[in-house]
Amino acid sequence: MSDRSATRALVLGILSLPFGVFAPFAIWTAVRSLRRINESHGAARGATRATAGLVAGVAGLASFLVGTAYWFLSS
Amino acid sequence: MIARVIIAVVMLLVAATTYPGAVAVSMAIRLTPAPTAASPAPAGQLPWLHVEHRQGVAPYISDDQGRLVLLHGAAPASLLDFGRDAGSPPSSPPVYPIEPAAYEGSCPDTSAASRYPPLCQSDLTHMAALGFNSLRLPLSWSLLEPDRDRFSEVYLARVVQVVDWARALGMYVIIDMHQNAYSPYIPPGSGLNLAYHSGAPAWATLTDGVPSKVLLKDQREANPAVFEAFTNFWYNRNGIQDAYIAALGFLAKHFKDDSAVLGYSIFNEPQPGWNLPPGFEDLLLFPFYRRVIDALTGVHDGLPCPTGFFMPAFCGYADLGIHDLRHMFFLEPGLLREITDFPTHLGLPVSSYRNLVFDIHAYTHGYTIEALLNPNADPRQATYPWGGYEQTYALGMREARAMDAALFVAEFGNNPNHDSLILANELLQQEKHLVGFAFWTWKEETGATWGIYDPAKAGGCLRSARERLLARVYPRASSDPGLVYHYDPDTGGFRLTASGRAGDPPTVVFIPAEVRGSLAVSGTAEPETETSPEGGRLITVSPSGGRFSIVVAPAPLVLAGCG
Repeated sequence: MSDRSATRALVLGILSLPFGVFAPFAIWTAVRSLRRINESHGAARGATRATAGLVAGVAGLASFLVGTAYWFLSS
Repeated sequence: MIARVIIAVVMLLVAATTYPGAVAVSMAIRLTPAPTAASPAPAGQLPWLHVEHRQGVAPYISDDQGRLVLLHGAAPASLLDFGRDAGSPPSSPPVYPIEPAAYEGSCPDTSAASRYPPLCQSDLTHMAALGFNSLRLPLSWSLLEPDRDRFSEVYLARVVQVVDWARALGMYVIIDMHQNAYSPYIPPGSGLNLAYHSGAPAWATLTDGVPSKVLLKDQREANPAVFEAFTNFWYNRNGIQDAYIAALGFLAKHFKDDSAVLGYSIFNEPQPGWNLPPGFEDLLLFPFYRRVIDALTGVHDGLPCPTGFFMPAFCGYADLGIHDLRHMFFLEPGLLREITDFPTHLGLPVSSYRNLVFDIHAYTHGYTIEALLNPNADPRQATYPWGGYEQTYALGMREARAMDAALFVAEFGNNPNHDSLILANELLQQEKHLVGFAFWTWKEETGATWGIYDPAKAGGCLRSARERLLARVYPRASSDPGLVYHYDPDTGGFRLTASGRAGDPPTVVFIPAEVRGSLAVSGTAEPETETSPEGGRLITVSPSGGRFSIVVAPAPLVLAGCG
């Protein structure tokens, strides 16, 4: 059985790369999905998608924060 | 296992082509040493201008002595190629000849078929009389490259002619690759008036059969076909962006050693198409600017990428062999910034090339969102922008600093009925922020007639209110980039306070012929006064150490306009 949030985390993660506003939702969804998958002791699948969503969400958030911080610091 | 690899590859590709890739390239650019010209600047009749970068001071336009230079000017729209009427593309040949010979010692008659009169040598003389030391010259890609890969030498000669006129008057020219609603070759449709469209040639106007229909009354850009055409440009469909870069290269190659050309305004009022901010600017528009700069200067800021189709944000561009390392590049943000007076992108570093100017269009209460929603609203009662007229300038300064660029107002203007309010306030903010301007527009015969001249009066004459406001006393050059000045168009009074060390290059103040007040200088030696060919006064003050001031006493203005 696939965890229902894993694919959602992946989609949100991909969306967070061009649109940083999605990043917190991607991270939140991915963390919750991974927690459920771990607690299922192998019954739930989707760890790859959730992990990818988490990585993309973190990358999206990081680039958004770096870009915004740069603007404030350099302007 | 295969699924994991596919997911990883997709994620990497998406990351590289979106913000993570764009931010990484921009930060790398921040660390890249600035390119320098290998040979001394060719001698020109006008000093070469550049963007000066001094520790603790916002970048500013400067001359070869390191002085802050303020540019005042207008934008004549006469070299643009508009549609013939509401439903027809431009006439061929254009309404006014583009052969320079037609303008040698004469001026073609004004035609009712064009909203703008022909641009003649006398126009530049009149600009100089107002104290303008520059002009922004809008060009049409459709006239420059009517057929793909075939550039018009005749149109280039016409541009050269205008640059020659300007040089002879000591004026700089900003070459502006202009467009209005993408192209005059957008398919006709409901609510459309192609007489207000200019820009891309027919072969570069790709609308994919999307319906052409204006969705918001009188807003030519609010048209799905225009959205589609812009989107195709930003994604380099059929290599049209490559062709545009080549067209700019054609111009840059000719003007490479010409100091009278200040630089290139790469794209006028970029409309995002179907793309959303801030991604439009950070991932499409400013990376496109970087590619133009790469191509024309030979710097290699982006990564090598194949051309002919979509180039992600990290892509640079091949060196076109021009190596123009002296001219400025004027970078305009997306159109949404103009209607919000607010930054619509992150302002990441664009290029390691240092002669960059961030140019804004200041149309507060003219085209800002509250005016678009209610065109008949009284600007005095406007509830937006919250920061008033200053908002676009204060934020523009910050956006320019983030890009390590100078700030310039490439367009501003308004309905003449609002001069005492809008025009006066815009000019006040430009003084306060030490920023130069190009007024839109020089002359306009029909339609909204926002020109400096009133076409309704016999022969067209200078609007007195505009002469009062635009023929200003202002510092043309000063070694103090922190100077403070104010000109009062109601009294003709002027005061400038600056400081300088003995031996610093002089401060030069222009006083137009309209201003007759007596001059007083304190804190330094007596000024040198010279009469300009147009009848104004040029005051040169050499600092002797410490603070000094230049004052023009209030006196009634002598206006030449016809009211």
